[in-house]
Amino acid sequence: MASNRGQGGIQQLLAAEQEAQRIVNAAKNEKLARLKQAKEEAEKEIAEYRAQLEAEFQKKVSDSTGDSGANVKRLEQETEEKIHHLKTEAARISDDVVAMLLKYVTSVKN
Amino acid sequence: MKDADVSRQIQQMIRFIRQEAEEKANEISVAAEEEFNIEKLQLLEAEKRKIRQEYERKAKQIDVRRKIEYSTQLNAARIKVLQAQDDAMGSMKDAAKKGLLRVSNDKKVYKKLLKDMIVQGLLRLREPSVLLRCRESDRKLVESLIEEAKKEYSEKASMQSPKISLDDRVYLPPPPKNGAVDSHEPYCSGGVVLASEDGKIVLENTLDARLDVIFRQKLPEACKEAPVRLNNITAI
Repeated sequence: MASNRGQGGIQQLLAAEQEAQRIVNAAKNEKLARLKQAKEEAEKEIAEYRAQLEAEFQKKVSDSTGDSGANVKRLEQETEEKIHHLKTEAARISDDVVAMLLKYVTSVKN
Repeated sequence: MKDADVSRQIQQMIRFIRQEAEEKANEISVAAEEEFNIEKLQLLEAEKRKIRQEYERKAKQIDVRRKIEYSTQLNAARIKVLQAQDDAMGSMKDAAKKGLLRVSNDKKVYKKLLKDMIVQGLLRLREPSVLLRCRESDRKLVESLIEEAKKEYSEKASMQSPKISLDDRVYLPPPPKNGAVDSHEPYCSGGVVLASEDGKIVLENTLDARLDVIFRQKLPEACKEAPVRLNNITAI
């Protein structure tokens, strides 16, 4: 009788311990899953962030390409203007300069 | 001990065990949430920093590449302008070179000029004995001018009349053929080269050499003031 009563109690206690262990293990597993989720969520946000920066970067690229194009055009135009002005001026003064050069060459200081 | 007491004790122990387990599970859950946030933030922060640095580097590369590109283009543009400038100067010099041909073809003008250039050379050298070299086509003319030049030199320098030896073995190059001043054939548009007897001092007083000197020294000034200064030429 006494032996039988003790056995029943022990069985109950063992069951309680097992249930306790199950509860703790479940919590631990949830924790692991949660940490894994943290990594997954972080990676997702990272991908979004990267996509955002990539978009901004591509915009910067296309903007700068447009800028470069405009700069090149302006530079070419300025260069052509300078050269045109140079040629115009050269033509304007050429005869005088040549005459001056020849006059210097043929003027001997003694 | 009564059965009821034993049973009550066992139930109490069971409740205690469960309570302990639930408390521990709760601690684990709380820790999980904390570590979740920490882990996520750490990952996010680290990766974001890397990505930001990556894109900053890319942006810098673009800026650098763009600056290099613009700098290259700017440089090319400058060279283009300088080339046009050089071409313009070259055209003027070529025109002047062609003009030199007319100078030596004008016999009267050229005769006086040649004498003056010889005298100038003598004055610069101030040597008692001088070797003179000229174009073969000018030889007769030069021979006819030597005595006059010596006399003028003596007067101006208050020096004894120098000895002038006309080199009859080596001559200066001939005039440019067909007025082709841009050919690579050596040519001489006129003038003389004088040298000291030992050959250590050489004075090149040819029209071409004079043009080169004047071109380098006077052209920038000439281009700026050409229309005005034309009437105020000072000789070299």
